[in-house]
Amino acid sequence: MNPSGEGRVTSTADIDAAASPRENTRFKDKKDETVISVSGLTPSAARYSRLFDVLVVAAVVTIFAGAIHLHVMLTVGDWDMYVDWKDRQYWPLVMPVSMIMFPAALQAIFWVNFRLPIGATVGATVLLIATWIGRYANWWIWTGFPFTEGVPSQALAGALLMDMTLIVLRNSLFTSIIGGFAFGFVFWPSNYSALAPFYLPVEHQGMVASLADMIGYTFPRSNMPEYLRIIERGTLRTFGSSVSWVSAAFAGFICIFMHQLWWRLGLFASQATFLKNSDVVKSFMGIKSSVAS
Amino acid sequence: MSGDALPRRANVTVIKTFDIDYGLFAFAMVALTILYISARLYQQAFGFSMGLDANSPEFDRYWMTLFRIELPVLYGAGVLCWSYLFLTRDRSIETVTPETELRRYFYLAMWLVVYSFCIFWTGSFFADGDGVWHQTTLRDTPLTPSHIILFYATIPIYLFFGVGSFVYAMTRIPAFCRGVSLMHVIAVVGPFLILPNLGFNEWGHAYWLTEEIFSHPLHWGFVVLGWCALALAGVLMQIVERLRELIPLVFKQDAAGSPTDANPFRDASKKCGPEAQRQRYKPTTVSGRRSISGKSK
Amino acid sequence: MLLKLIKFAAVCVAFIAGVSHAAAHGERAQEPYLRTRTVQFYDVHFSKTDVKVNERFELTGKFRLMQDWPDAVTPPDIVFLSSISPGPTIARVETYLNGEPARQSFAGLELGRDYEFRMVLEGRTPGSSHIHPSISIKGSGPLVGPGQWVNISGEAHSFAFPIKTMTGLQIEDLQTFGLAHAVGWHLAWLAVAAAWLSFWLARPLILPRWLVLQKGREDLLISLRDTGAGIIVAAIVLVMVFGGYVRASAEYPYNVPLQSGLNRVAPLPASPAYVEIKVISATYDVPGRSMRLATQITNKGSEPLSIGELTTANIRFLNQSLPVAMADVDPSYPRDLIARTGLKLSSDTPINPGETKEVRVEATDAVWELERLVSFLTDVDSKFGGLLLLYAPNGERVIAEMGGPIVPVFTELK
Repeated sequence: MNPSGEGRVTSTADIDAAASPRENTRFKDKKDETVISVSGLTPSAARYSRLFDVLVVAAVVTIFAGAIHLHVMLTVGDWDMYVDWKDRQYWPLVMPVSMIMFPAALQAIFWVNFRLPIGATVGATVLLIATWIGRYANWWIWTGFPFTEGVPSQALAGALLMDMTLIVLRNSLFTSIIGGFAFGFVFWPSNYSALAPFYLPVEHQGMVASLADMIGYTFPRSNMPEYLRIIERGTLRTFGSSVSWVSAAFAGFICIFMHQLWWRLGLFASQATFLKNSDVVKSFMGIKSSVAS
Repeated sequence: MSGDALPRRANVTVIKTFDIDYGLFAFAMVALTILYISARLYQQAFGFSMGLDANSPEFDRYWMTLFRIELPVLYGAGVLCWSYLFLTRDRSIETVTPETELRRYFYLAMWLVVYSFCIFWTGSFFADGDGVWHQTTLRDTPLTPSHIILFYATIPIYLFFGVGSFVYAMTRIPAFCRGVSLMHVIAVVGPFLILPNLGFNEWGHAYWLTEEIFSHPLHWGFVVLGWCALALAGVLMQIVERLRELIPLVFKQDAAGSPTDANPFRDASKKCGPEAQRQRYKPTTVSGRRSISGKSK
Repeated sequence: MLLKLIKFAAVCVAFIAGVSHAAAHGERAQEPYLRTRTVQFYDVHFSKTDVKVNERFELTGKFRLMQDWPDAVTPPDIVFLSSISPGPTIARVETYLNGEPARQSFAGLELGRDYEFRMVLEGRTPGSSHIHPSISIKGSGPLVGPGQWVNISGEAHSFAFPIKTMTGLQIEDLQTFGLAHAVGWHLAWLAVAAAWLSFWLARPLILPRWLVLQKGREDLLISLRDTGAGIIVAAIVLVMVFGGYVRASAEYPYNVPLQSGLNRVAPLPASPAYVEIKVISATYDVPGRSMRLATQITNKGSEPLSIGELTTANIRFLNQSLPVAMADVDPSYPRDLIARTGLKLSSDTPINPGETKEVRVEATDAVWELERLVSFLTDVDSKFGGLLLLYAPNGERVIAEMGGPIVPVFTELK
């Protein structure tokens, strides 16, 4: 963060004092020491590498909290924002299909480059935390909606399963087929467990309503009329009326392809590509064109 | 760019010190946190009380004044910072010492952390507030209390750091000067394009979407541009590829053997990313420890 | 930044010291042709304007869907009766459109017909809230009725919305019921995720792992123990997912899906076409802030009729010399929407049955500008509309639509 590019050197000590690697790195686990040792990092290098880890974690958490939340808000946000949008037909379908995208790409980035089976969990975790921050600060503190109206969905169950598939099968294709499907399929049951109380029936003005309907009705959203809700319009009682499970299976099916697509996008994004810079620009920094090109 | 190599250097010197200054980084993070929380408190205080009717005098006083201040101040600060970075560029970038270069990589990482931090406040926190604001109140202007913060304050702020990180890298880090980092461009330009895309958004809202469906396709332009955040992975790979060459040079004392044999990575056989694009750096000697201002240290 | 903080502090002081609040909700940005030719609210009544937290009040009224409905607005095929407020400062208890329950939207409202609404609302957030009735038209958004300040007193935390489910469960507060259950689940998932993430984040991460991978030593990065841990976590996740689902299904066996679908409602009975109005010419005098209409009015009824009021876009121009018209103004109607100068007529004598009379009507007031209803010059559809309210000697009221092209003039007409 120093715009001049120069660090203020405050320490003149010989930072690579003759100490054993074990004493100088922060990893107490023998396997971790082996990793450091094989990587060839000296103790002080390992220390700065750990600092680099911290910076990367900070960047990953914040940028993907922002990017994934924005992505989910603007693709399927309404289903996530309001409890009376969480229907059986679209909510279990559109939410996981949108939510799998970034986690799949993060899986590819972390797995292919670093063999870290945490990408999907990272994505789903930062999303859920960012969503709750927004619900608290904006839904509740600013506009005054009760928390029950804005209870979000979570994709952690599916994301964990996707990471577990990856660590066991160690293959993107099978992770798409099994983990991707699992991500879509478990979205409904894992969220229903949390939201089941909101589907209790009540009688209101002589009509049946769920508690979720009542919450949306009771605490008005001036610019979100009831008809804007894109929710279930059922015509056929298929599969013993288990419409939610049909939606879950369909979501799993789409998630297979979505996972593979975004895995590849993650790979594309982690390319260390440099394009040729203009000689004029380079000359500003004293690089002669003959040397550079 | 393959086959690029820096000139060999003479006068081997052993680097005994390496330290990083966190001052500006910490200042930026604290200042930004205060700024963002202040903006949110301002919304809390004057969103509903002064911001519901764009045609009222109080709206002009409380919101349009803020709008008129923040635009020149924030963009002006950006231009000043970028100009400063350019004017203080390293004019002999190829002779930078390994420890200075390594330090600059850490500073670049810090630039990107601050950029990411700004993206969080914009893409998650204030965008979320924008969503709930529009569904709670009638849309009557592109300059609502949520937009005046989201689009006209938080976006210039992340541009400050996004473009800043790019100018910093290009003016101080040899690899980012010799070549243009494709993913760095995408990671900066993608979120930048959210501003022009705002024109499409408001055009749509003015003419055919007066109600607020947050997941409406009208908003998907923002989404695609948000995907560009993934490109930071490419920048990360560019950084680690260079770190593996720099670190042995800077921390060679730990390693056994002579300085030239200190590179424990030369037997790396497996490569990541397209080989043809790889910046190769085969240092043998270290010399010419020059700061960006050209003064010897 | 310091400057910003100072400014922020300054405006905070101004805020605490008390400054006037906005009294509109953005409806002034809607085009005049939209506000004068779609939904005309009348007889709007607030049963109370001072309520306590948890105290109920009623907002009632009627509206006419204008026949000369503008092209730019989608027809009222799907409509929702709602209220506009600065956030959910009020709670909605019951709503009715022509006596039918209005929790859901309605299909196929008819142009040229009248509808009656009733909303039972409840004070929720202490403070002054500007509340409007509104009719949302799918594709065009909310069209807003007259707004009134409602003062809500009491403590915010004392608000509760109890409700009883059909399964017999008495819920103390709709704002909090089920929340702990949902948050508990989210925390449980976050705990599993945190355990998995810390399992990895505690190890060397980016650079060392990449270097080791470059050396082909993947075996050091993912061990059998790690795979085993993954299988255990997967098992925990599956038990949580399906165990939780089975438990929730057992606990809540009578759950219902979200309710969707459109209701239908018949309009109020059409009143006999007692009056026909033809607008011969209409001008808006920009410097004079005056709408001037030359009309031809035919009384087809059996009683003489006097013009009592012109109302459009919630603004009421009253014939102040007609007591029955003045008596028709509800005390709860917002005063800022009643033109002070009233309605001027070229002839005050009643229109007799069977008579066709030319009447010049003049509605002059600054409220045209305040409400931003004067942009006839910049509109793509420079037409206006409104309701003329006429009264018989026995007090009977006849409501007639009028409207047509309007021409702005920039010099005072002689």
